[in-house]
Amino acid sequence: MTLCFTRTIHSLPFKHPRLSLSNPSKRPISSFLPHSSSQSPPLLHPISPKPHLPLFLRPPTSSATFSDLQKFHSWAKGLAFSVGSKFLDSDNGPDTDLLCREIKWLLEDAVEHTSILPHLGSSQNPNLTGSELIRLKLDLDDLYSLWNQRIEERRPFQYIVGCEHWRDFVLCVEEGVLIPRPETELIVDMVEEVVSKEKGLRNGLWADLGTGSGAIGIGIGRILEEGGRVIATDVSEVAVSVATFNVQRYGLQDKVQVRQGSWFEPIEDVMGKLAGLVSNPPYIPRDQIPRLQAEVGKHEPRLALDGGDHGMDDLLHLCEGSSIALGSGGFFAFETNGDEQSELLADIMTSKSENRFRDVKIKTDMAGIHRFVTGFRR
Amino acid sequence: MAQSLLKSMFAGGYSKLFTSPANRRIPSPTPHQFQFQLRINAFSTSSNSSRDFLSLSDELLMDQCEMNTFKASGPGGQHRNKRESAVRLKHSPTGIIAQAVEDRSQHKNRASALARLRTLLALKVRDAIDLDGYTPPLELLQILPAKSTIRGSDVGSQIGPNNPKFALGMKALLDLIYAVNGSVSEAAKLLGLSTGALSRLILSDDSLRMEVNELRASKGMKPLK
Repeated sequence: MTLCFTRTIHSLPFKHPRLSLSNPSKRPISSFLPHSSSQSPPLLHPISPKPHLPLFLRPPTSSATFSDLQKFHSWAKGLAFSVGSKFLDSDNGPDTDLLCREIKWLLEDAVEHTSILPHLGSSQNPNLTGSELIRLKLDLDDLYSLWNQRIEERRPFQYIVGCEHWRDFVLCVEEGVLIPRPETELIVDMVEEVVSKEKGLRNGLWADLGTGSGAIGIGIGRILEEGGRVIATDVSEVAVSVATFNVQRYGLQDKVQVRQGSWFEPIEDVMGKLAGLVSNPPYIPRDQIPRLQAEVGKHEPRLALDGGDHGMDDLLHLCEGSSIALGSGGFFAFETNGDEQSELLADIMTSKSENRFRDVKIKTDMAGIHRFVTGFRR
Repeated sequence: MAQSLLKSMFAGGYSKLFTSPANRRIPSPTPHQFQFQLRINAFSTSSNSSRDFLSLSDELLMDQCEMNTFKASGPGGQHRNKRESAVRLKHSPTGIIAQAVEDRSQHKNRASALARLRTLLALKVRDAIDLDGYTPPLELLQILPAKSTIRGSDVGSQIGPNNPKFALGMKALLDLIYAVNGSVSEAAKLLGLSTGALSRLILSDDSLRMEVNELRASKGMKPLK
């Protein structure tokens, strides 16, 4: 095979196998959307989109020889080395080290048996002739095109492989859905802490507003007791379908219900009854959007990032709504842009909210940034 | 193994090391400090023996650790897309540091770092033993080959280096070898083995071999090969 990749990558058709849920008897995605049939301006796309199957879940329908895979490996490393610290210096993007680790992860997801991977880098393998066929979950051409997209377009690694490892979950993600961040994992820890202390929270009703891939909702769904439930909402149709897929993949469909709509709209029926409300809303101040790391700014949905002029539009809306949505003693946790935003939000929730909240606290992330605001409804 | 561990520990190019919020007063150590700490051979622990540490559940052992993660500088959160899931555990009672960077998930890296910490605790923390009337503990008998004359049939089959229980047996073996000042033949006698058989056991695990050879070197003895 020639290693010439000057052709434009878009001419390479990258096949996205459409998802088929393993159990056909399960309710169709549309039944999770309570308003779609009754209350409908007809949707632009009458059939809700099906998420792309992440690479690691695809069947091994293709193959390549060991030596062709070795050629890919050294080509991909060559590209990674050509980056050096260029991306890091320009917008705090990935450097060679991180990209090399990503190559390893890409191959882990792409091959059927990962045991051959440690041998790819070494030239001497007495037991391998090079002609062995390695079963792959995508065509070798597509593997080249994906890695080219990673480097040339700065397409996020998580969109390349279609998943993100978050807490102990592997969540399906794709363009149109925010890739869950490691900081956000801490929200689940905070919820775990409060539910361990109070039974009423453990088996109550929770809401994750703007759930994206479903990450927080799924994390909470798993720690709640029998009777505890989570409503995970998102205004984006793609997010709703991806979150639904992730919920079903972890068998949490009886615990976590995904609904489509903006913030409090899809939970009108449970206002005042929530035991907990969590959200990682868009919080980046609008003027910072053009300067974001290319992986984020060029590829992730602006809808999930842009928080308006000061980045606080949605946080303020959530803060206001949570006093009505939460029942007495209900817990809330919001992720913010950090320091200034969390201080402002905490201030509003303590002194300017007519005493509706108690124990309002600012919590730090792993890097020491004042990332979260938490508290309780009185 | 220890050598490869050292290598893997410093392979990443992290621009900055952040200590988790609860421990922010502690200055971030540089990689050189890690290496320095790993070269310390035997820790003296007053109240706890390393056997106590090794028999702790993952959760309790974790409670004794300070966990650090590596994050690039900058605003983080939604601004950043980087899989920086490295985990570094510092075991507070001994100062031993274990780290894992190779997985995408911080959860998995935390588990590997904890497994490495167990190995390092076994290798680096020594307990004094009394040679008078010495009887090897069960965990040591379990890693001995079946031909050992003091190993009863009730001990079960031999546990190899890939078994997580090997660390505890390795620790007991190292305690014994330290007590006999590095003499493999003397240790072999106490374990009902020929010198050659014990020597082969020591050579079967790289980290164990290196630890024994370091002790022997400090006593002016030839390394086992």
